[in-house]
Amino acid sequence: MRAFGDYNPRITAIYFAIIIGISMLCMNPVLQCLSFLGGLLYFVISDEDGLRLKTHAFYGAVFLITALINPLVSHNGVTVLLVVNDNPITLEAVIYGVFAALAIVTALYWFRCFSGVMTSDKLLYICGGLSPRISLVISMSLRFVPLFRRHYREVRLAQTALGVYKDETFGSRLKGGVAVFSSMVTWALENGIVTADSMTARGYGTGRRSFFSDYKVRKNDLIMLFIVVCLGVVTILSIAVGALTVDFYPAFCWKGLSGWSVSGVVAFGLLCFIPVFVEIGEKIKWHFLTLKI
Amino acid sequence: MALFDVKNLSFKYPGGHEHALEDVSFCVNKGEFVVVCGDTGSGKTTLLRLLKKELSPMGEKRGNVLFEGQDVLELPEREAAGKIGYVMQAPEQQIVTDKVWHELAFGLENLGVPKDVIARRVAETASYFGIENWYDKDVNELSGGQKQLLNLAAVMVMNPSVIIFDEPTSRLDPIAASNFISTIKKLNENLGITVIISEHRLEELIPLCDRLMVLRNGKVVSLGEPREVIEGLCGEKDGIVEAMPGAVRLYREMGAEGRCPLTVKEGRGFVENFGNRVCSLPEKNKEKIEKKDEKYALEFKNVFFRYGKNLPDVLKDLDFFVRQGEVFCVLGGNGAGKSTMLLSAMSFLRPYSGEIRVFDKKLRDYRGQSLFDNLVGFLPQNVQTLFLKDTAKEELAGDITALPFDVAGYLSKHPYDLSGGEQQLVGLAKVLMQKPKILLADEPTKGLDAAKKREIGNIFRKLGEQGVTVVAVTHDAEFAAEFADRCGLLFKGKIVAEATPHKFFAENNYYTTSAAVMSKGYYDGAVTIADLAKLCRLNESGNVKDGVSG
Repeated sequence: MRAFGDYNPRITAIYFAIIIGISMLCMNPVLQCLSFLGGLLYFVISDEDGLRLKTHAFYGAVFLITALINPLVSHNGVTVLLVVNDNPITLEAVIYGVFAALAIVTALYWFRCFSGVMTSDKLLYICGGLSPRISLVISMSLRFVPLFRRHYREVRLAQTALGVYKDETFGSRLKGGVAVFSSMVTWALENGIVTADSMTARGYGTGRRSFFSDYKVRKNDLIMLFIVVCLGVVTILSIAVGALTVDFYPAFCWKGLSGWSVSGVVAFGLLCFIPVFVEIGEKIKWHFLTLKI
Repeated sequence: MALFDVKNLSFKYPGGHEHALEDVSFCVNKGEFVVVCGDTGSGKTTLLRLLKKELSPMGEKRGNVLFEGQDVLELPEREAAGKIGYVMQAPEQQIVTDKVWHELAFGLENLGVPKDVIARRVAETASYFGIENWYDKDVNELSGGQKQLLNLAAVMVMNPSVIIFDEPTSRLDPIAASNFISTIKKLNENLGITVIISEHRLEELIPLCDRLMVLRNGKVVSLGEPREVIEGLCGEKDGIVEAMPGAVRLYREMGAEGRCPLTVKEGRGFVENFGNRVCSLPEKNKEKIEKKDEKYALEFKNVFFRYGKNLPDVLKDLDFFVRQGEVFCVLGGNGAGKSTMLLSAMSFLRPYSGEIRVFDKKLRDYRGQSLFDNLVGFLPQNVQTLFLKDTAKEELAGDITALPFDVAGYLSKHPYDLSGGEQQLVGLAKVLMQKPKILLADEPTKGLDAAKKREIGNIFRKLGEQGVTVVAVTHDAEFAAEFADRCGLLFKGKIVAEATPHKFFAENNYYTTSAAVMSKGYYDGAVTIADLAKLCRLNESGNVKDGVSG
């Protein structure tokens, strides 16, 4: 079964860049809502944490806090709702706060989806196309971090058993910590020599490297790329001509309906829901395919 | 034509006083399986590295190493990297990238091989080595044996004509090691890959190899067909015989006459020549019972532990005790819970049920770090985790003469510059400086040569005599048989068998020593080569006496 995450990583990366870019840069309430719904729905169906209340509660809290802060610190706007300590709370500031908070939460959801889809393999593939050397550095770091962490745990354990932390005072703990860290550096350098040997033994540095990955660009990927780019261009154009501009201050004001604004909203709406369409479409297709098994 | 032709090779490290190699000459033919053995510091690694262009050490070199008639140092870079494979000791540190598939492709990427060729070679190699199932995994998730297999596969993918191994199995457990060796044999036999391998543990390699080379102090002492070489060595009382298969050691004990047995099968034939009129050693029955009255130093009572709510039990009703002054060896396969057992004995892990007592006091009643205050010492599997200072002398600040062994020779060096065995001794010394009453040791003999193993074993025995309790988790049956007071077999988080070594190994069929296997059903309770030799001698003299009287 091919889900949205199974499209060629470069295309998924382009998609996420367009969506997150537009959602963060264009403060249009309609676009914000579309993007939020698209991101949320995609997260719910694709991620294993999608139905965990805890995750959503966290984003809800982020939303509430950021939405509340704006009217408390910003006193622009013409419609005063109430006055707290001589400071006016305005309707415009409240509305702006709500949509700014929505923009943040939306971006969080999309990033969450992005990290679920972009495994390290895929990131490497994307970087590898640009520079095989950078991709190797990333890959080696990804390898080294868990190794370092595990060794650190082992050292701490061994040193605890040696009584390094015996005194339990802050000073002795700090001293122990410093000693452990410096030994970690020695260890890392010492073991780095073996890794370097293993690299040269296998021909590292003998000339231009090639780059291997399992990903291919298929016909589906090209179709997807075409759709994404078209919808993205339409949206960006309609933003560029100002049809989707909304003013929050001093008073809330929008440009009204026009050919540009409608096509911009429709294009962006479709764009936001592409992953959801793909996932649901695949599920339905898969359901019928399993009937044949 | 010879694949490698080494002519009068001498080598000296910069600043070194003695030659690391002196006038070494030999040939390796295509498709040969050559084992290089020698004590630590005999120049094995230096020799092997000089065969590989990229790893050749800097220093003063005389003589030549020819590969297919050409000096290795003059080989074109990419050809040299691809044709001569090299696998080192440390499974972990040789791996460069984070994914198994990427590691396989790494060498070919370096050589600039086109993507579609890499795809085919990687796929082919992965399926030959049975790597498909973990092809997409992170390398961190692999076991030690899988890591070393990956290192081998990552070299094989470059299509080498020879692979050089520098102690590839010394950090693996016995089962992974023997799988690895059989893979090497398969490569040699089915694909015609030339193999040059150095190793401490020769038990399984000797019967496989075509030629055996013995190095001592940088010189080739002997080179030839393994049986001849070994028969020659046994005559000379050479220390390297300690590392040889059990059958060879028995042969030497018995005076090194006639044809030398190499395998367990041949060893059994050798034993049966002596007859079995006397079946068991009389004094073995009342061995080491004097510690019966000592109190318990460490006690596990129905201990259960798991790493997560929904994960399986790792310790499952674990129940055993160790008396004060005992040397207790716990044997068992990977994942049996050996390390978990040690960690929970130090309260690094908390069992969810059951009780652990140290000197009859519950573990949780030891406040703060008082457990490690002259009470429990821990020798971890990786001794490098013990070292924090720049010299061994600083590590061992204090009175080193109180130690049951001598470390004076190592003091001036950086701990990392010591050999594996020396590191182990310095690490053990550092732990013992804390004067623990219980020493917990995790795989204390891993990667050590026979001489260092014996040294560690003797230290454990001495500690036992001084009233220090030693609990060692080990894979090494030969070690446990010789130096333990009692052995336990841990299986699925539970001690399923527990007895004195001579009973324990005599009753085991698989988890046992080569002496026990060679004499199974023929003699009773001969678990070490020394026991077996004693029995053979008793029977031999019996035969002679009969001959005289008859």
